[in-house]
Amino acid sequence: MAADRVHSHHIATWVWLVVLMLVGVFATVLPLDRSVIVGLIFAVATVKAALVARNYMHLKSENWLIYAIAVIPVLLAVAMTFVLYWDVLRHY
Amino acid sequence: MRTAITSEQPSPAYRGKIALWWLIASEIMIFGGAVSSYILTRTASTGWPAEAAHLSIALATVNTFFLLTSSMTMAMAFAAYEKMDQRGVRTFLLFTILLGLAFLGIKAYEYTSHIGAGLAPWSGSFWAFYYMLTGLHALHVIAGLIVNVTLLLAARKGLGVGYRIEIAGLYWHFVDIVWIFLFPLLYLSY
Repeated sequence: MAADRVHSHHIATWVWLVVLMLVGVFATVLPLDRSVIVGLIFAVATVKAALVARNYMHLKSENWLIYAIAVIPVLLAVAMTFVLYWDVLRHY
Repeated sequence: MRTAITSEQPSPAYRGKIALWWLIASEIMIFGGAVSSYILTRTASTGWPAEAAHLSIALATVNTFFLLTSSMTMAMAFAAYEKMDQRGVRTFLLFTILLGLAFLGIKAYEYTSHIGAGLAPWSGSFWAFYYMLTGLHALHVIAGLIVNVTLLLAARKGLGVGYRIEIAGLYWHFVDIVWIFLFPLLYLSY
């Protein structure tokens, strides 16, 4: 019974992932400003990644140590990009 | 008076999981650095949208579908292991492997099409980044497939896959997450 619930939970997560994938693809043809579309598709990608990490990698039930190992390098990579991005934008 | 000294050792499964998360942390920095370089170079370059227009969104969408589905089958293989369903473990591992192979097949088709059209890694910055990012990701898919095939062979011989299937699953899902970001980065955002 519990196993069936796990399977249906995994399938529900997969349905959301596929729907969000299609949202990301169709967002490219929306009559919006390019920067808005790019922001939208990366927001959708972030939600998809969070769904996989939480539900399939079981991050939602992990302890603080694993959270820290996972989150710190993500923050470093994002910070590195943002810090340099404005500099590149100013010079090119 | 003597007192007993006891220590609580983490289980092999937990130690394996911690080790794999450290590997993932280092992989995040590798892919993070590569993706960051791509974003910054693209910001400073003109003419990349015309190059990116050669990529097939349809093929990449199908490939994304394959990887997302393979993540679900991998999660189901672990769920089957938890309820001691050996047949389920073998079946879902097999589906995961087939979907991974399908992903690589489409990627190989894309590569041969582009190279046939004269769009090789040395055809400009965009193509150098495209082959570097997708090639590095494909190597990770191949590594994940080798692990999954090993686990499937062990399961078919009646050897227990144990907690290793959870560790292999963590790696496979991470490879899926990398593609979740590469797909919009390379195919959708030009």
